Amino acid sequence: MKRAYFDCRASWPSYARRDQATEPPLTRQSDPAGRGAQARPGVLVLDGIAKRYGTTVALRRVNLRLDAGRVHALLGENGAGKSTLVRIVVGAAAPDEGEMRLGGAALRLGSARDGIAAGIVPVYQHLSLFPHLTVRENLSAFAYGRTGPLALRPPLVAAETARRWLDAVGLDRDLATPVERLSVGERQLVEIARAIGQDCRVLLLDEPTAALSDRERDRLFLAVRRLCERGTAILFISHKLDEIDTVADDLTVLRDGESVIEGVGRETVGRADLVRAMLGTAVNTGAHALGTPGPLMLCARSLRVAPSDPPTNIAVRRGEVLGLAGLVGSGALRIAEALSGLRPVASGSVEIDGAALLPGDRRHAVRLGIGLIPADRSTDGLFAVRSASDNVSASALSLLSRAGLLRGRAERNMVAPWLQRLGLNPPEPERRAASFSGGNQQKLLVARNLLVPGLRALVALEPTRGVDIAARRLIHEALAEAASAGVAIVLASTDLDEVEALSHRILVVDAGRVVADLPRGAGHPALLAAMGGGGARAA
Amino acid sequence: MRALRRLAGAVPPSAPVALAIFLLFALVVPRFATAGNLENVLRIASILAIASCGQAIVLVLGGVEFSFGASAALSSVLAVSALPDVGPVGALAIGVATVAVIGTVNGWLVSRFDLPPFLVTLGALMIASGLAASLAGGLPIDAPPSAAFAWLARGRVAGIPVPIVAAVLVLFGTHVLLRHTRIGRIWCLVGANPVAARLSGLPTRSAVVAGYGTAGLLVGLAAAILTSRVASGQPGLAPNLAFETIAACAIGGIPLAGGQGRAANVLFGVAVIAMLNNAVVLLNLPVAYQQIAIAVVILAAVLLQRDGWPGGLWTRFGRKGARS
Ligand SMILES: Nc1ncnc2c1ncn2[C@@H]1O[C@H](COP(=O)(O)OP(=O)(O)OP(=O)(O)O)[C@@H](O)[C@H]1O
Ligand SMILES: [Mg+2]
Repeated sequence: MKRAYFDCRASWPSYARRDQATEPPLTRQSDPAGRGAQARPGVLVLDGIAKRYGTTVALRRVNLRLDAGRVHALLGENGAGKSTLVRIVVGAAAPDEGEMRLGGAALRLGSARDGIAAGIVPVYQHLSLFPHLTVRENLSAFAYGRTGPLALRPPLVAAETARRWLDAVGLDRDLATPVERLSVGERQLVEIARAIGQDCRVLLLDEPTAALSDRERDRLFLAVRRLCERGTAILFISHKLDEIDTVADDLTVLRDGESVIEGVGRETVGRADLVRAMLGTAVNTGAHALGTPGPLMLCARSLRVAPSDPPTNIAVRRGEVLGLAGLVGSGALRIAEALSGLRPVASGSVEIDGAALLPGDRRHAVRLGIGLIPADRSTDGLFAVRSASDNVSASALSLLSRAGLLRGRAERNMVAPWLQRLGLNPPEPERRAASFSGGNQQKLLVARNLLVPGLRALVALEPTRGVDIAARRLIHEALAEAASAGVAIVLASTDLDEVEALSHRILVVDAGRVVADLPRGAGHPALLAAMGGGGARAA
Repeated sequence: MRALRRLAGAVPPSAPVALAIFLLFALVVPRFATAGNLENVLRIASILAIASCGQAIVLVLGGVEFSFGASAALSSVLAVSALPDVGPVGALAIGVATVAVIGTVNGWLVSRFDLPPFLVTLGALMIASGLAASLAGGLPIDAPPSAAFAWLARGRVAGIPVPIVAAVLVLFGTHVLLRHTRIGRIWCLVGANPVAARLSGLPTRSAVVAGYGTAGLLVGLAAAILTSRVASGQPGLAPNLAFETIAACAIGGIPLAGGQGRAANVLFGVAVIAMLNNAVVLLNLPVAYQQIAIAVVILAAVLLQRDGWPGGLWTRFGRKGARS
């Protein structure tokens, strides 16, 4: 397992190491027809697509052309309309205006099933696998869609075929493994393998890397490249510009539902221009000023989260941002969750300002002033059918009520400044949360946890998952400011740049154990070395 | 402008449906729009409205209550059996408490053991109806004539029948509870996403128990009014009560998925059902038609209020998809 990990690295270095890497740039060799792109008709062509939801205009006028064998990046700020476009292309939503052509023929889709049958396969950020079924059963899922409802033997794909698909994406897993045992990155690879089996002509990847570690992301990119070589047209959505540089051939930028840059070669647009096209302004990328930590605030004493973990001591001081880094399955997430009171522990204790936390009791933790931004937005965080405002105020209801009655004005006054500050788009607190774009939903969760009454500690898991670069900056500033105000912050993120930018120090976790304690500015190589060091499990 | 928009948001899509049905019946159903008939409609609807407020709370919590009919029957049997010993007030209190206790136990089972509300309340239905039947020996128990006991169903306050007054108070109370209290907000949040509610530090378990308990309290009140009206302890008091309350909530626009719902939804849902029932009677149609009509209306109402076609009709009212 460890072997495979390093092999993968060698052939596919992370973008984070690109600047120092001696390997040649990793793209383009798989671009057989690249130069002729302008002359060819394009596999999928969208012309003047528009989509409204009630009074909201999600897409105004979008043109897009995807070519065979090329990765086309779709960029745009939160709420620009990227996911809406994906839903339309795959048939899950119908456009109000505009035309789509697939391989030259007009394309009309009644449902996502039609889209998949036509060879247009989406990989959403929230996964669409069946967790209790095995890898092989999941790979056969599209085939089920084509059989009659009473077919006696569901057409399970042959083992060799399934194996071949998995090989194509570089996933080395037993076919009988239930999907729920795979990591997020592995599940995404299964989805892509399934797309390969479908002979997919167009693969749509909506923020596939938002929850991936560097290593998993590299593996994903490798699979994407392989698929490209088979002539698939790929649409790739991400807010991380480094990834766009690594993987994209062409790019399109959406702004307020309009394509403002349409299908140009990636190298023809400079990064500053790209950011301006997306946001209308430049984004300050300077380092964050961090205050000086004060006395001890949050600590774990001889903490063992899982019975097999070694006892761990962790101390976070008032005003300190402690980064937790580790590969998927390293236990970093586990420890962070235990610190927030989310997870029961095997032994040991968590204390905040001297008071012991009842493990696994979030209610008690919140009463002690511990906020938690959960990693899985839709299952653990969002109240999808409630308004944005309700989503934000949920943590502060006790503060907002008197004698059991909610004070409406106080609630509005508390919520509005935060929504404004984090740039909620559209700025309508009474809109229901489900109708906001992914990044804007994330802002609601961040605001909710900064509002915890008497906030003393904040455990932030992937706090900027899916948000655009401007919002990422705003969230980072809000976290840094909370720290300056004396909050102890535990930051666990697969985004190492984020951990480095915000943390006073970084603990590297491996197999449930803290293996390194790096000071601020130790640098990426030191961090990667510490993470790769102690015989990490592959999943 | 803001107040206007808020008002528009507060009027559920079922309101124009109820209004249309009212106008239609007023035109085509003889004797429908007479004062006497309308008072009668309201009087009958008031009991359903009170019980439906209870169902609405449970639905908002993401649950469902099937035991209302059976616990109402048990409540009526217990109240009437106790009447000679404890007097009318005590008897009615026992009746109300019976349903409240059953509701609370249901809520406790659901929240403590994470059991599906469907199964828990179905179990409660069977137990309560079994108990009611065995206590009553299968036959209604007649209540001794008592003016005080009958007041709840037949009395008037300022000229308005007591059940109607009670329904108005309960609807208003439910509105305040769901929209303007902390516990009501917690019910909504738990119904919308129980995991997120727990991680946000909300007291989800006690909220669920309180919700089912409150629902029981309201249904207990409805049962007391019914018992007072029939002046007997009936083991088969209102066998379809649970289903009628679910129907009223669904027609009124409360999604069964939880997290949303207002007293206004209940109001208009109940109005639709009551008018349909009344029209069937006035037109001398077989009672079976009543049920068929209600079934059709439920499906139509749910379809109309869905976000996609053809309900876009309603969401396009400038309501911006916020039905919270
Ligand atoms: N079901 C819906 N009802 C109302 N508005 C919607 C709905 N779905 C999307 N929208 C609106 O359409 C716009 C585009 O949303 P979309 O999800 O496509 O953005 P996005 O570019 O994917 O953003 P992100 O980067 O945050 O994922 C947003 O303003 C959003 O509020
Ligand atoms: Mg999106």
